Amino acid sequence: MKRYDLIVVGAGPAGMSAAIEAAKHGVHVVVFDENARPGGQLFKQIHKFFGSKEHRAKIRGFVIGQELLDEAAKLGVTVELDSTVIGLYQDKEVVVKQGEQVNHYKGDAIVVATGAAENMVTFEGWTLPGVIGAGAAQTMMNLHGVRPGNRVLMLGTGNVGLVVSYQLKQAGCDVVALVDAAPHVGGYGVHAAKVARTGVPFYLSHTIKRAEGTDHVTGVTIAQVDSHFQFVPGTEKHFDVDTICVAVGLSPMSQLFKMDGCKVVDDRRKGGQVPVVDDLGQTSIPGIFAAGDVSGIEEASSAMIEGRIAGLAAASYLGFATDDEERAGVDANERALDGLRQGMFAPKNRGKKVEKTEEGIPVSQTLLERGYVADSEIERFPGVTHRVGIHPVIECTQNIPCNPCQDVCPKHCIKVGSHITALPQLEPDANCIGCGLCVASCPGQAIFLVDEKSEPGFAEVTLPYEFLPLPQKGDRGQALGRDGKPVCEAEVVGVKRTKAFDHTAIVTVKVPEDMSMRARFFKAAPATETD
Amino acid sequence: MGTRIAEHPILGVPQKGRLVSFTYDGKTLQGYEGEPVAMALKAAGVMVHRYTAKRHEPRGIFCAIGRCTDCVMVVDGVPNVRTCMTPLAEGMEVRTQYGATAVPFDAGEKDEASAKDGGAA
Ligand SMILES: Cc1cc2nc3c(=O)[nH]c(=O)nc-3n(C[C@H](O)[C@H](O)[C@H](O)COP(=O)(O)OP(=O)(O)OC[C@H]3O[C@@H](n4cnc5c(N)ncnc54)[C@H](O)[C@@H]3O)c2cc1C
Ligand code: SF4
Ligand code: SF4
Ligand code: FES
Repeated sequence: MKRYDLIVVGAGPAGMSAAIEAAKHGVHVVVFDENARPGGQLFKQIHKFFGSKEHRAKIRGFVIGQELLDEAAKLGVTVELDSTVIGLYQDKEVVVKQGEQVNHYKGDAIVVATGAAENMVTFEGWTLPGVIGAGAAQTMMNLHGVRPGNRVLMLGTGNVGLVVSYQLKQAGCDVVALVDAAPHVGGYGVHAAKVARTGVPFYLSHTIKRAEGTDHVTGVTIAQVDSHFQFVPGTEKHFDVDTICVAVGLSPMSQLFKMDGCKVVDDRRKGGQVPVVDDLGQTSIPGIFAAGDVSGIEEASSAMIEGRIAGLAAASYLGFATDDEERAGVDANERALDGLRQGMFAPKNRGKKVEKTEEGIPVSQTLLERGYVADSEIERFPGVTHRVGIHPVIECTQNIPCNPCQDVCPKHCIKVGSHITALPQLEPDANCIGCGLCVASCPGQAIFLVDEKSEPGFAEVTLPYEFLPLPQKGDRGQALGRDGKPVCEAEVVGVKRTKAFDHTAIVTVKVPEDMSMRARFFKAAPATETD
Repeated sequence: MGTRIAEHPILGVPQKGRLVSFTYDGKTLQGYEGEPVAMALKAAGVMVHRYTAKRHEPRGIFCAIGRCTDCVMVVDGVPNVRTCMTPLAEGMEVRTQYGATAVPFDAGEKDEASAKDGGAA
């Protein structure tokens, strides 16, 4: 039986971070992952992450994944792929299926970082080919370059449903609707808004009645549900689709903990059955740790920090780190973790209905019910102001732990402040030079540059754009409002892409003067749109 | 239906292996070496991977990460192969799985024979 100081199960952000931290202290580590490629969920995340610098905000998930793998390789961490851990015993023996073989390994400490599995809902026709999980859609389009379908309906408006809908559009799919049985959008408003403004309608308090088709999906019928989740007769709506994508939540994959006899509890706020852990991630069995989504569904940013804590705690448990080193490292990581666990969407606020922002501003109800902030609501948020000349309009209206907008501005125009969930606002003496860095860096794509009177009768609006084909200077088309409906004619007067923008182009459109606060997306006229 | 993304706004042009030929129920298709068999099928518009044993219901890709077993097919004569986890190789013979075999439920010897003919192509 092969022996290691530390065995890590799962090569996602949590597992890799644990392995890196332990290896830094000289621990001999092996990581097992069932996939052919390491990185867990990270390589499917092609959007920019929220958070602050220490959480690697504004960097795309797959880039963070590559950085982790590079660091692990430099430290000599062994990652065994195509290796599924099928057994874990109290004496820290691990049974691994590798190809046709079943091998036994022994560790002196174990970190379990197996992540989460997707939940499913059933409806008539749910087993038809063409009904897929959101994770499957991401795997197809973001890892293998294959479009999951041409016309897609998304069920679920949590961050996963919102982000995957946006990614489907980036892959060139038509997303016909976003549907959720809950009365309110579950994910970040900024994620919803960037989908809504492209013209995808949201149907809250609706769910799927049936998937249609004989051999595969050819259509779907949704209907409204009442407060007891019963269908309301006569509210059916049909869509012709070839794909139904399901994003109804994740559950921790905590089965291994049950095998080894660790204490496990059912915790709804953590997404299901999770091991009982102390503040170091140690389970009820000394030397066995948990980190990442397996100990509570959260984010890659928090999974990495939990991984570092568990890796450090394991190093200390094994005698490779002193108590002082452990304490200092853990304290710093816990502060970072605490920073992430703030705001309206923090684990502690899950399931609560938030009526007002921390600033006391009523939250946008339209955002919760239809995925965008209504024109009549937007002006009450502090980032939305009127100035002479070009200036950012920051449509970030919920308290989320995020501040790249403040970090990137070379002129210090935007302020979030030391309290990371505060709504961003424009400094009173802001002197914006129109560089566009804030527009391109905002993970929520919530910042627009507006020149309310660029020439008599006209205004210019600069917006982030991450689709193909990229509009060209001189293109004409329509400006769409926050609700994705056409508001006026528009002409592209500038397109800018730089390395610092990291694949987010910024597009400037000229619109009638009275549209400067309404035009938020550009749709090329059909002639230039066809490919 | 599912088609390949020629260029992606964030990921650029997908990096793929060598183009290889394989057969699907006897028909020759092409895909990229090393990509999951299920992706090559998806790109070719194949939706149904198997029919269930009892109720003869169609199944296709569902999880794409090896968990649900909806995508299993008969690959090179071996049934129950998860096509979403199996790398494509030149000359692979992929067949729709009916229950636990590649023989259609209501078909007799004739269909099997013609399928074999196709497979040899
Ligand atoms: C659409 C979407 C968008 C997201 N957006 C963001 C975002 O913007 N910011 C953010 O911070 N987070 C985001 N996340 C969340 C983030 O991806 C996860 O929280 C994070 O990946 C969890 O990390 P992990 O290491 O715990 O688990 P995972 O990344 O799931 O990794 C676990 C690994 O363990 C492997 N494994 C499981 N069981 C076994 C076993 N028995 N044997 C061997 N290997 C096993 C799995 O295959 C996997 O590779 C998003 C998630 C999704 C789905
Ligand atoms: S455009 Fe440039 S200068 Fe203006 S607010 Fe944004 S980052 Fe600052
Ligand atoms: S406006 Fe600022 S705080 Fe809001 S999502 Fe964008 S970068 Fe984050
Ligand atoms: S699609 Fe689920 S195992 Fe292949």
